[in-house]
Amino acid sequence: MSRWSVHRSVLLMLPAALLASACASAGSSGSTAPSAAVATHPPGGGVVTPSPARSAAATEPPAATLAAEGGDPVTGQLGSFTWGDGGSDSPWLPGSPISVGSGERLTVALADGVAVATWSAKRVPAGTTDGSGAVGLGTGGPPIAFDAPGTGPWSVQVTVDFDGGLGSASYYWLVSVR
Amino acid sequence: MTTLSRPRLLAGATAVLLVASSVLAGGAAAHGPDPALSGGGFGQNQVLRFRWRAGSEPAAVIKTAIKAAASDANDTRASKAATFAYDSSGPSPIGYGAGATCGVNGLACFTRDVPDSFTMWFREQGHVFDWGTLKWCEAYTTPPNGCYDAENVALDEFGHVEGLGHHNNYDTDSDYGDAVVQTYSRTKPSSGYNKHVFGRCDVARLQIIYDMLNTSAKYSTCLDMSTVLTIAASSTQIVVGGSTTLTATLRVVDSDSYGRLGGNAVSGRTVTLQRRAAGTTTWYAVGTMSTGAAAGTYVLAQQPGADTEYRAVFAAPSNEGINGDSSPAVRVSVTGCTAVVGVMAAAILAPCA
Repeated sequence: MSRWSVHRSVLLMLPAALLASACASAGSSGSTAPSAAVATHPPGGGVVTPSPARSAAATEPPAATLAAEGGDPVTGQLGSFTWGDGGSDSPWLPGSPISVGSGERLTVALADGVAVATWSAKRVPAGTTDGSGAVGLGTGGPPIAFDAPGTGPWSVQVTVDFDGGLGSASYYWLVSVR
Repeated sequence: MTTLSRPRLLAGATAVLLVASSVLAGGAAAHGPDPALSGGGFGQNQVLRFRWRAGSEPAAVIKTAIKAAASDANDTRASKAATFAYDSSGPSPIGYGAGATCGVNGLACFTRDVPDSFTMWFREQGHVFDWGTLKWCEAYTTPPNGCYDAENVALDEFGHVEGLGHHNNYDTDSDYGDAVVQTYSRTKPSSGYNKHVFGRCDVARLQIIYDMLNTSAKYSTCLDMSTVLTIAASSTQIVVGGSTTLTATLRVVDSDSYGRLGGNAVSGRTVTLQRRAAGTTTWYAVGTMSTGAAAGTYVLAQQPGADTEYRAVFAAPSNEGINGDSSPAVRVSVTGCTAVVGVMAAAILAPCA
């Protein structure tokens, strides 16, 4: 893909990203607001997602949610990313809490209609901060889906390469496997 | 070295070589050069001048770390990648502190405006994230465990500015040391937390984007590129006692996937000459060919006594990311007559037809 076509793709997605970002920032209490929270079941159904994992800037990748089959999706913590002409570097994050059953199929969905080129998922024991000794949970092309690891608390990293050369991003969840 | 007008080798031959290369590589397809960011690279050897952002200047120790990282990038780029230099009036601001536009969880961040400038931001010492409080190692006389090495993080950012995306690690992250431009930063005392040189897979992408410093420079071992070796004789028909000079030419296969490296002449390597009697199948070593006058060429003079075939062989080096190749054979025919070298010789010896 040429530079211009990549830029065109980014520009086409900008309005959606801006809208999503504006919505996200509406509930934000600032850049240091907690970005990890457990999904809850509000009265009347629907999903309450954690506080935003994105800043008010429209220069970030889309949010990503993880869900077990039939479960409520939880927005992941956004870690390192490259997006358009910029990017940010983060540690291995603890992740947004979510509770799933052992062996359940987990799926990750991206907001804003951004397409996935490739992805990989790996986990470390919760509390690990350097990623060493990580174990792969899956890799491939879309859709993003993998089996929950064994019983216990895990910090799960899902790294996504976006289609069209838009960039890449890592998302984190603190997965408690029953 | 590489130009857009460089003639292409036969596509079929390239495909065959690439297939052979992938087989020889052992299927390590998941591991390779860092991805490239969209937007391309800066100019070859372009000097990118940075300054401190007014009102958001880094703390003194962080300034020192950033300048050190700029030197690290310049010293270990192993390519014609852009270089970095501090200039108080430079077009590329580097900021520090509360104004950082690094998202909720970013330690540092960057933007690129190719081909003119870039921006960079670092979070301030003591910044409170929801996952902890930021500690830069450089802020301490005795850095505590859990601190982030600002020089390492800055080198990561300079790598991004050059056009590097985050390295795709193995599942186990056992190859974390292959790149500084990583999907996550490590803290003291984890392996790689204070790495101050580009990793081999950072370098590989820099070489693809920006080209080699010269034809003798080593290709990163994170690359897995095919080479093509050809051979020619100065004369393919000589008389007994005459000589011919064999000239081999070694190049990187001209594949689009190799970026600027495709078609490069490869100098300063070990290329050997082999021979066999015409009509036989067994090759025998002749010797190591000497460096030729032109880039990527290797020469050796021979004085065969009978019809002989020659080929050049380049064995894959263990310390760089290019594969070996053997040239096609070139046949040198030897006629039984003797060259006429003067009037007296013509009177004594039978001249060639």
